[in-house]
Amino acid sequence: MKAILHVIEYDLRNFFRYRWFIIGLIAMNLADLFISAAVLTQMTSIVNFNYFRFFAPGLAVVGLFASAFMIGREINMEVRREIHHYMLSLPMTRTELAIGRVLAGGLRGMLYMTPLLITNFIVLRFPTLPQLLLILLTLLLLAIGISGVSISIAVSTTSFEKFVTARGVVYYMLFFCSSVFYPLKVIQVLATKGLGPLVTFAQVNPLTNGSDLIRSFLLDSPDYVFSPLMLLNVAVFSMIFAFLATFAYSTVLQRN
Amino acid sequence: MGLKKLWLVIERDLRMFISYKFLLIMRGIWFVSQVALFGLVVNNMVQDAAAKVGINYFNYYVAGVTIITLYSTAMFIGYDIFEEAEHGVFEYLLTLPVSRRELVLGRSIGGGLRSFIYVGPLLVIVLLILGVSNPLYLLVALAAMFLFAFGVSGMSITIAVAMKSGDKYDILIGVLDALIVRLSTTMYPTFYMQKAMPAYAAVANFNPLTYAAELFRWGTGVEGILQFSPLTGVLGLFIFFFAFTFVGVVFYERRLEGGDWE
Repeated sequence: MKAILHVIEYDLRNFFRYRWFIIGLIAMNLADLFISAAVLTQMTSIVNFNYFRFFAPGLAVVGLFASAFMIGREINMEVRREIHHYMLSLPMTRTELAIGRVLAGGLRGMLYMTPLLITNFIVLRFPTLPQLLLILLTLLLLAIGISGVSISIAVSTTSFEKFVTARGVVYYMLFFCSSVFYPLKVIQVLATKGLGPLVTFAQVNPLTNGSDLIRSFLLDSPDYVFSPLMLLNVAVFSMIFAFLATFAYSTVLQRN
Repeated sequence: MGLKKLWLVIERDLRMFISYKFLLIMRGIWFVSQVALFGLVVNNMVQDAAAKVGINYFNYYVAGVTIITLYSTAMFIGYDIFEEAEHGVFEYLLTLPVSRRELVLGRSIGGGLRSFIYVGPLLVIVLLILGVSNPLYLLVALAAMFLFAFGVSGMSITIAVAMKSGDKYDILIGVLDALIVRLSTTMYPTFYMQKAMPAYAAVANFNPLTYAAELFRWGTGVEGILQFSPLTGVLGLFIFFFAFTFVGVVFYERRLEGGDWE
């Protein structure tokens, strides 16, 4: 346990070293909210839909994803520059190292996302304590899962360009096929175009469940009702990818 | 300046690009997901608003996303430069009997050309979706898009050489991408940008992505009337191309040597 805590501390310290990354991420998220969402709000006001209020919880998930994914780029860089040999020489087991990094990625996501979540509370409404705990638990699980996805990609790609491209594909597939940017009922139009499997994917997408769970507590709308299945969905995603990343990190690096 | 040497640099970049099969397939998926997912779904959400200003949003978006793809593909040459610096290929390139000027100009043109080659097949699909109302307009639009691609490629090289750090480059490109794409008319019409915040529309009027997207829509007939004359758009893109290709060459020559790549 102590070894895992050391790894987490190492990654958290690194996170704050990258001030420019954090500033850059904030700029990107604010551009999403105050430019894209503001313009789309004007466009959707015709059909009495307040896009800004709808998108605000999604923005917390976007921020969580971007910051939890950052651990992958660092691990990819370590692999390319062969720093991982040093990491593997540390007095801890490969599994402890891998678990520490997956958890650290998730915690970094939570740290970055917190101000965005607080902004949501201010703009929308404050949740009750049980609701807040449920939101935080769900987002933590989601962040760990995303960190797992990122690490799995990082150790499987040999160049920075490939990592960046794979990151883009994962981003587009997970976000565009989720209710982060638009409501699930609007996505159902894809079924009429012969893209039914994508609608199913959007329904089981952990990003959909994560953002709709926040909406169920912060938006007073009958369209978003909390279901324990949302939490279960995110927990299953988190477990699968945390395990996959731990396995990939501890075996692939050793083989290198 | 030897044209043969310049062509050798361009050819090398094109050959390298064609060898990246994984990246080409992945970026194809980017494009398809943007059109088939985001485009179709958002169209369902905003088609009434778009119709109010006489626009078919799906066609409008497909034309815009073509320009975004051209932009992001041309930007990727910067990542190549970092790969080369990391593996010591950069030093090798500097030892070749090619002047710095030929090297950077060749890379800038190569970067633009390869993004155009990549977008080519996607462009055919897009033209099948959108149709062509006036072939002459389309030729003008394609020529302007060439200038745009070369300019973006030059901008990417200039930023990469100025940063000399892959991490800083990646994050700056992310921020630039967030601002330059969102503050353009690639995704939404100026009318609604103006309604959201007049400053957004004002910035969009000087954005090269706006010029390229509007000219492409004009060339395909998606938009019959432009908010600026086609000549202004072409001129805007020429200035953008000139600034980042030729001014970039001077900057590149000064920053190229001395190591310090992170």
